[in-house]
Order: sequence, then structure tokens, then C-alpha cells
Amino acid sequence: MEIYKADVVIVGGGGAGLRAAIAVAESDPALRIALVSKVYPMRSHTVAAEGGSAGVKKTTDSLEYHFNDTVGGGDWLCEQDVVEYFVAHCTEELTQLEHWGCPWSRTPDGHVNVRAFGGMKIERTWFAADKTGFHMLHTLFQTSIKYPSIKRFDEHFCVDLVVDNGRVQGVVAIEIASGELSLIEARSVVIATGGAGRVFRENTNGGVVTGDGMALAYRHGVPLRDMEFVQYHPTCMPGTGLLFTEACRGEGGFLVNKDGYRYLQDYGLGPAEPTPRNKAMELGPRDRLSQAFWYEQQKGRTIEGLHGSVVHLDLRHLGEEKLRERLPQIYELAEQFMGVDPARAPIPVRPAVHYTMGGILVDGLCAAPLAGLYAAGECSSVGIHGANRLGSNSLSELLVFGKVAGVEAARFAKSVAPGNSASLLRQAQAVEQRILGLKKKTGGTERIATLRKEMAQTMEDGCGIYRLAETMQKTCDKLDELKARFRNVNLEDKSSVWNTEWLLAIELEYQLDVAQAMAYSAINRRESRGAHQRLDGFELRDDVNFLAHSQAHYVADGAPRIDYGPVKITKSQPGTRAYGAAGEKAEQERKASHV
Amino acid sequence: MNKRRPYVRSMDGWWRKNPFFVEYMIHEGTALFVAAYAGILLNGLVHLSQGEAAWNVWLLGLKSSWYIGFHVLTLIALGYHTYTWFKIMPRTMPPVVVGGQRLSAWAITGSGLAVAAAAMAALLGLVWGMAR
Amino acid sequence: MSDNQKVIEIEVLRYHPEKDKEPHKQVFEVPFTDDMSVLQGVQYIKDYLDGSLSFRWSCRMAICGSCGMMINGEPSLSCQTFLRDYYPARVRVEALSHFPIERDLVINMEGFMEKLESIQPYIIPKEPRTLQEGEYLQTPEQLNEYEQFSSCINCLLCYAACPQFGLNSSFIGPAATALLHRYNVDSRDGGKAERMELINSEEGVFNCTAVGYCSEVCPKHVDPANAVNQNKTISAADYFLRFLTPKGGAK
Repeated sequence: MEIYKADVVIVGGGGAGLRAAIAVAESDPALRIALVSKVYPMRSHTVAAEGGSAGVKKTTDSLEYHFNDTVGGGDWLCEQDVVEYFVAHCTEELTQLEHWGCPWSRTPDGHVNVRAFGGMKIERTWFAADKTGFHMLHTLFQTSIKYPSIKRFDEHFCVDLVVDNGRVQGVVAIEIASGELSLIEARSVVIATGGAGRVFRENTNGGVVTGDGMALAYRHGVPLRDMEFVQYHPTCMPGTGLLFTEACRGEGGFLVNKDGYRYLQDYGLGPAEPTPRNKAMELGPRDRLSQAFWYEQQKGRTIEGLHGSVVHLDLRHLGEEKLRERLPQIYELAEQFMGVDPARAPIPVRPAVHYTMGGILVDGLCAAPLAGLYAAGECSSVGIHGANRLGSNSLSELLVFGKVAGVEAARFAKSVAPGNSASLLRQAQAVEQRILGLKKKTGGTERIATLRKEMAQTMEDGCGIYRLAETMQKTCDKLDELKARFRNVNLEDKSSVWNTEWLLAIELEYQLDVAQAMAYSAINRRESRGAHQRLDGFELRDDVNFLAHSQAHYVADGAPRIDYGPVKITKSQPGTRAYGAAGEKAEQERKASHV
Repeated sequence: MNKRRPYVRSMDGWWRKNPFFVEYMIHEGTALFVAAYAGILLNGLVHLSQGEAAWNVWLLGLKSSWYIGFHVLTLIALGYHTYTWFKIMPRTMPPVVVGGQRLSAWAITGSGLAVAAAAMAALLGLVWGMAR
Repeated sequence: MSDNQKVIEIEVLRYHPEKDKEPHKQVFEVPFTDDMSVLQGVQYIKDYLDGSLSFRWSCRMAICGSCGMMINGEPSLSCQTFLRDYYPARVRVEALSHFPIERDLVINMEGFMEKLESIQPYIIPKEPRTLQEGEYLQTPEQLNEYEQFSSCINCLLCYAACPQFGLNSSFIGPAATALLHRYNVDSRDGGKAERMELINSEEGVFNCTAVGYCSEVCPKHVDPANAVNQNKTISAADYFLRFLTPKGGAK
């Protein structure tokens, strides 16, 4: 087994991982950084983010507004001190990215332009046409090449953390091209592996989004926090789930039902006006919009399509020229994948799973309760998204907390002595035996694809937009069954070079753990909040019992143990979450009461 | 032991594998006609320098049916060469911005072809005029 | 599967370094619907017919750049190429041309990564600026100068379309040159002189014979041939300016 010695290992080469790597390199060029990614970094799923990244920019905007939008949008399940830090650092980080070359869209006088986004009071979403994530990722990746201390382990698949003496001291990874395992020793580890949306059937996520890092930390005793909160994005391609960015609505697109009626006005988001008004109608938050779709479906006012019910995203009134300029990728997706010309016909859309609000429990400095372990980005739960993330906050999160994680991991690495290499190697060899064993095993009868599909279906059935105890219980039971059946999995491919079936099996095991954390957290939260909505007697938010973060603890060969942690409230007491005209009225009342 | 053994495919006959490459070889091949015709003209120049008799021998040679056939073929080849040359032109130059709008590739190719056609007409006219 | 389910034949060029001396063809029968991409067809094979088939993929929406393959001999992103366009004929799938095959549809792209690293693909500031000073001003026109070249997703279709790269793999090639050019023409950048050395070198743009197929197959309208050929002009101008100016041109 090959052994590499680093000071900081970063697992995941997406936006957060790259930002962390650069932060370590800048904080001390002498630190040896190992950037481990199962795909070439520019393939990471940050690449698919479309709409933009939030940071206060306009003179009419303020940090307080961004804070209030985020905390209210998260249904008050946010760590408010962390949100405060977050909103105060977004703009600086976005400017840093500008200095590194990100092609932000501009105003005619050359300043960075901002657009409207759902749930945001003032336009503050920085964008690079509708390929913001792509440009941010490539800018970060290409900039990272500047730093000689960053050694990349591209197409290396992380299979375990090595924990010794009470702290994490490295990782074990498969070199995909050869199938050989290596130990990468380090004094601190940053996990930045992204979300877990692929545990659901219809989702916007790339194939790589399998919750690897979450499962790695979870199995080593780190709780996964708020895992029941899974975001459904309201406007996705039926069947594939591919995303039509919220920017479609930020630019003025309408959502209409089968009668051509802008139905969102029936769900407390009105009044319907011809031009977009922030925090109203189509610019409401994602959870509310996806829920409104569900009700329209119940009422029989959706349109039946090949892949289930749809509503129409109507962009025709924006005109071809504006669409080609502001939403070029959306235009091509609709044309090529659906044969729809969005300047001439409405696009059929339906909600699909998009984002995992919860993740690895970390504090405001991205530190997990396991010494030396840090996490940033979608895999982490630093506490800014609460029960529902606002669009364009996650790209900023990558930058702000990617940097924090990098700086803190660097600081920690310098504060501790290198570990006991012999002990680390022994552990790594045990991991190697286990991982190779999965491949060598014979006589299994279960197909990976079958198990994966059953998992994705049961998650959609039980943990969808609206939830019931009965179906959630079925999902929990099904996941238990699938975990048992996984032990009987059969790999056709026993070889070493580029054995992707083997990797899929390891990913599936990660996914099953993460799915369990989601389902058990969901069934235990007996209230409705943000993206977790119940229809079985718990339709209302319950601040008395559930203004608390769920924490799922891993139990080997059993169901996760769920307990709850406190929510940090500093300056925004939980209030009514209202949008549209009702939201404006509520805000005025709140202001009046402060006078 | 590392089990990687990347396989490198042969490039033999690469240009036959894709219609685009076949066309590329044909349009590059038309350059041979350009060269051949330059050779013919150069030969004429040499004959001219050797006096009227030599020049007339060259002129007579041009009137053979073999030579006329070759001229027709060369005309076609040069026409195609001109067309593909201008077709590639937009790919080889910085963007041309007219009135804030980037000029389309076809506009560039079209203007190139129009200029070439105009030049050819002018030249023909000139020769026609001289011959009369 | 219903009775009227359409079935298409997908012929895959297989290569397993631990078993095969050289690549060979294998045909699979794949049931499909009209909205299925070639990638989904290949995924079907892996899920239900042969778990040992290896290929790269991720985003499914033509932005991550992973799933490039030769489809009926043309470099294509398999996620945005549809089976219906080939049916009822057989569709042939092969690893991207001009790259070594690691296994099945997976190419070795380490060479490209080295090229990308060699072009200094980051802003070398013309005028350094602190974060407190805010963003650099850049007008939409200035953005327009390089935006197209920054849209490269590194899918490598252009290399699979470039016979000169196939004949000489040290040629820096279309995508890397496009990205190099992207930084050279960015109003914030001052690193052009350093990057031109590579442009002018043995590996540089004069390997290109203007085949132009790279730009034809580019799924993101980057037009890498334009970047390469513009740099031929720039390089030639540099060469001659060297004799005319006391400083020796832009190097």
C-alpha cells in the first residue's frame, strides 16, 4: 500500500474543497495539501449550479436584509450567529472570485450585475449568465493550479477516514485507474464531498452526488444534523429531473397550470403582477412553490405528461434575445432535451430533489465534534440553511465556509504533532481488506442497480414534498431491508482497473446510510417546517417541541439514534413566514412594533 | 502491481475514417492545382523570355484538348479552393464588431467570396478588353 | 416492458487491460424510449446487461464534460445525443479518438491535465487590486472578448476531432489553447507575454493545419479553432516585431 504524507487532506474537489485548498495554501505555503477527488475537480457537481450566488451589492440592500431573508427562509431553524458571519463575508468572497477571473455578468458601466432570486428581498444574486456554478468551479480549479503546495489526487475515491488517538489523521483512497489503495496521512481532514440528492429517484443531481463524505463522518460517530430537510426544486425537467434555474423566474418567468392560470396566487404568494416582485409569486421560496405544485396536482389542475404531472414554466414574454443572453443554457436544454423552443412554447416542469439542507454537524468554524475533522459545503450542516435553503445561498456558502474550513484545518494541522504512522498503516490495511473483500466476495445474488432503484423509489414515496407517518415508516423499514440485502450483493466485475461497479457498490452503501439518517430524522420530527411538511396531524410548526436541530447518530447494524440540539437565536425571534402581500404586511407590522 | 495498460489506437488511414477529414484532404488537395497552374504560367513566362517563336509554341500547346480539359478541371478545383478558403476564414480572425454586433461567420465568408468574384470579374474584363 | 417497446442495438468498443490484447466490439440490445440519450442507453447496459462496462458520466446536462464518446464515429457528449436519432440502425459507441484507452469507454486524459496546468490558467493581474477596492471594472464588451473561450467544459471532444493531436500528442491542442487565449484577452490579465512562449513553441499553435473539425464538434460554441488561428497571427506578428522593435516584441 502506497503511503503519502500530507498536512491537510481535503476530500472533494468541488467549490468548497477547492476554496478550502486555496485557503490552506494561502495561510501557510509550507503546508502539504492533498486534494482527493473521485472525479477530476472540474467535473464536480458545483459545475451544474445555474442561477447565481448571493452577496449584498446594491446600495439599497443591507446585511440585515440578507440575514432576515435567510433566517426567515430557513423557517428559523438557522444558527443565527453563523448566518450573521455568512452574510457579512459573501460579498468579499465573491469579489475575491472576481479577482481570480470569474466572468461575472456586468452592468454597462462595468460593475458586477445582480439579479432577483426566490425569497430574496433585494436583488443580490451575482451571476455568470446561467452557468454560474460552472464558471465558479472552473475559476477556482484553474486558480488552484497556481499553488504548488496543492497536490491533487484526481480520480481517487475516498473509502474511509483513519482515526487514531481520538483524532482524524488521514484517509484511505482507491486510485480508480489502477484499483489500488493508498493511505494519505494528515493532521487534519476537510470533507467537502457535496450533497446526497441521488438517494432520491427524480433529482437534479449528477451521478457523483452520493453523500460519500456524510457517510464517512457519520460512521465515525459524527452526527448528521437536520437530514430530514431535503429541498425540492420546483422547476425541473420531467423524467430526468434536470434543472431549470430559479433565474428563469428571477428574469420574469411565470408558472401556470393547465388553465394558463398563475396558481401561486392561491397559496399566499400573490398578488399576481405582470413583472416580478421580490419575495412574491414566482419569486417565493422553493419549499412553498413545490408545495403549491403538490396541491395543484391534488386539485387536478396540472397537465398529464409522459413522466407524471407537470405545470408550465412560461418564458415566452421575455423574448428570444433576452433568453439567449441571460438564460442560454436553459434555452439549449429545453431545445435539445425536450424539443421545446422556450421563446415560442412554455416548458413543462415538475419539482425534483435538488439539495440536502442537513449534513455533517459542524460549528461556525466548520469543525466537527471529531478532533481534526472539518466540513464545508453541501455535505456539512454549518447552520445557515435551516429548514429550507434560499436559492443562491449555497454557492456563496462554498466560498465563505470553504475558506473558513481551510483556514481552521491549517491552524489545527500546525497545532498537533504528526501521528503514529505504524498505527495508521495498520488501520489502513484493515480498511483495504474490507474494501477488497466487497469485490472478491462470491455467491451474492443482489444487483446493485436493483437495490439502488428500490432505495430511490422508497425515498421518493416516503420523504417527498408531503409526508405521512405511515409511508415514512414504510420507507424506514424498506431501507432496513435494503441494508440487509446489501450484504448479499453480487459484483460481476472482480478486476482492478477502472472497476466502476465496485465503486458503485461502495457508493450505494454510503447512500443507504445517509438515506436512513434522512428517513428516521423525518419520521421523528412531528411538526411541519420548511421543506419538511406533514399531513398527518402535524401540519403546523411546533416551536415548543421542535425548534431544535435533529441529530442522527450512526448505529452499526441498526436504525440511527435521533436526538436534538439547540438552535442559536440571536436577533430574530421565530415569526410567521409570509410572502407576497401578506409578507409585506407582516414586515410592516414588525417594523411598527419596534418603533 | 499496477495493472494499467492503456491502449493506443493506430492513426493509420485516419483521414478515411470521417467524412469531414475526407473533405479536408480534398480541399487541401486542391492546393496542388493552384501550384500546378502557377507552374504552367511560370513556364509561359520562361517561353516569353526566349522570344516570339518559343512563346507561340507554348500558346499552341495550350490549345491541345488535353490542356483545355486540364484547365476546366483546374478552374473547378480553384473555385472549390476559393470557397473553402473563405469558409475557414472566420475561424482564423479576431471577431469583427460592426455597430456593437459581432459579424456572423457567414457574413465574413460571404464578403470574402463576393470580393473574390468581383476581382475575378474585373480581371476577366481587363483581359477581355486587352484581347479586343 | 410492454410488447411495443422499441429495442436498439448498441455496439460498444470494449477493452479490458487485464484480459484483452486489443479492443473488440460487443453488441447489446437495449430497450429505449424516444427521450433516452445514448448515455442512458449505456447506463442501461451497465445496470441490467453487463455490470463490468466502464465509462465516465455525471451531470447528464452537458456541463460537467465527463461523458464524451465517439458516437457513430463523431466525437459527442453522450448525454445530449439521443438514441431516437439512430434508430432503427445500430449505434456505435467508442472511447474518444486520439487518447489512450484505459478501459472500455474511459480514456487516459492525464496529458490534457498537464497541458491545462502548463498554460497558467489563472489571472496574472495587470494591476493588482485589494478586496477593499472592490471588483475590477469590466464592461460587457470586454467580457464578450473572452467569454466564449471561458465556456470550455474540458470535454475533450475537440482533441478527438483533431488529427494533428492524434499524430502528435505533444501538441497543446484546441481546448488548452482556447483557455490560454481566454486569459490573454481578459482585460484584468497581464500575463500574455509569459503565455506566448508556449504558443510559439514546438508544442504550440503551428501544429494546427486548420482542419476546423474541433470547432464543429464543440458542444459549447467555444470555437477553439478560432483561438488557435488567432494566435498563429499573433505569434507571427510577434516574430517579425522582434526584428523591428528594440524590446523585441512581446517575446
